[in-house]
Amino acid sequence: MKKKITNFSLAHKKYVKKLKKDKFLVIFFRIFVLVAFLGLWELLTYTKALDPFFVSSPSRIIKQLESMISSGTLFHHTFVTLYETLIGFLIATVLGYLIAVGLWWNEKVRKVFEPYIVVLNSLPKIALGPIIILWVGAGTNAIILMCVLICIVITTMSMLSAFLNCDEGKILLLKSMNANKFQILWKLILPASMKDFISVLKINVGMSFVGSIMGEYLTSKAGLGYLIVYGGQIFKIDLVMSATFILCILAYLLYAIVSLIEKKYRN
Amino acid sequence: MNEILKFENVNYFYQTKDDEIFAIDNLSFNVLENEFVSIVGPSGCGKTTILSLIAGLLSPSSGKVMLDGSTKIDRRKIGYMFQRDMLFDWRSVWKNITLGLELKKEDVKKKLELAEELLKKYNLYNFKNKKPSSLSGGMRQRVALIRTLVLEPRLLLLDEPFSALDYQTRLNLCDDVYDIIKKEKKTAILVTHDIAEAISMSDKIIVLSSRPARVKDEITLNLAGKTPLKKRDDDSFRGYFEKIWGELTNEEKNN
Ligand SMILES: Nc1ncnc2c1ncn2[C@@H]1O[C@H](COP(=O)(O)OP(=O)(O)O)[C@@H](O)[C@H]1O
Ligand SMILES: [Mg+2]
Repeated sequence: MKKKITNFSLAHKKYVKKLKKDKFLVIFFRIFVLVAFLGLWELLTYTKALDPFFVSSPSRIIKQLESMISSGTLFHHTFVTLYETLIGFLIATVLGYLIAVGLWWNEKVRKVFEPYIVVLNSLPKIALGPIIILWVGAGTNAIILMCVLICIVITTMSMLSAFLNCDEGKILLLKSMNANKFQILWKLILPASMKDFISVLKINVGMSFVGSIMGEYLTSKAGLGYLIVYGGQIFKIDLVMSATFILCILAYLLYAIVSLIEKKYRN
Repeated sequence: MNEILKFENVNYFYQTKDDEIFAIDNLSFNVLENEFVSIVGPSGCGKTTILSLIAGLLSPSSGKVMLDGSTKIDRRKIGYMFQRDMLFDWRSVWKNITLGLELKKEDVKKKLELAEELLKKYNLYNFKNKKPSSLSGGMRQRVALIRTLVLEPRLLLLDEPFSALDYQTRLNLCDDVYDIIKKEKKTAILVTHDIAEAISMSDKIIVLSSRPARVKDEITLNLAGKTPLKKRDDDSFRGYFEKIWGELTNEEKNN
């Protein structure tokens, strides 16, 4: 085995230094953009160049959040949206994955359902809103169902195509080792498509928020989507902006969790 | 010696939507126990198809493929080493080697010991827990070979297993494989387009025509007892080489 080098050349030290410097610059400018944006926003509204009644302002958002935290409503609304999103995300991912496995297993069934899946995929799910409410009633169930509908088709389609893209030669190898269909699925198809599964998770995190917020627009008594609609109706832009801000944080957190899972899986 | 494999007037057609590809034309030959047989032929003539028929991955359109006298092919008797190494890159070297054992539910303790032994013998023991992506081409191919050998097949099928390797690695690996196969008293069928490789490894060479594959010549070699590398220096080597070379070039011209 090769020995690990410990006394590096000057060129290497220089190279590492440059890498570090570049990374630092990126992080610096990232923060700079955010601070500049917030600063400019605050300045323009403070000097009344922009009307804070229409565009709100960082300080007003902070005040809004503070009052919502002390009254406990912020936590409640955030929890409601998070709950709907996570349940929808889980149901859609698990169910969509299982359907993909089923369609992989049986070629005839797959051929039969292919056109229906394509239609379902291109259908704007919001169009189903009224039907959903009629069927499962207004409220949390309708929102979760909306969320599931939005994520499930894309999950099934992505995973199925990943399954079908599996290296034919590796399938032949397992067959030559006398493997049965279940073993081919378990030892090859599923592990080989892990990377695709993680990208599906990443897409679904975003899509399930689209689903839950759309659902809340349609029918809700609580949640961040509800706050946004309600805030809009009573012309309280501070509320709309605060809810949007929290939504950004939630979406980022979920994405970070999936990225963490990805990193774990890689090692 | 016992006959382990027999092809009797085998025909094979690939069916596609708008074509029927005639791949194997009335092929008959046999392979004896402990024999090392090479199949050479122009590329695309149907060599891989023949191995798939032997492995029971395809069934003949007509005629008989018999393994130990039975047309019902018992895949457990066969070890198939493909052209590409087909290693699963999410599994460690060890997990790749024991893949075939995982699929069986019988007692495999003895075979695990064999796997360890083969890893040590082929200088891969240090890489036991590494992923295949950290191995060189030659090492990967040796891992693929060990994966085939731990199943202790009676008949080994080798589909151009050395074609992706550089010359040096290839000669060494040839010697290694030959060594194992002779030591373990295996029967082997090697598909190759490298004439020198075929002559240096085999007891018998089957020369195929271009597609559809027919037996053009069957040559029994008289070079036993030497390693493949030594055989290349033998006086009769050149004669065999020119004979097969002539037959194959002739075949290409006719096309
Ligand atoms: N699955 C398949 N469907 C249709 N034709 C095939 C298929 N596999 C191989 N063939 C054709 O059969 C012929 C023989 O293929 P193959 O046995 O792979 O040749 P070789 O291994 O000698 O290069 C080729 O002309 C190839 O195009
Ligand atoms: Mg081939």
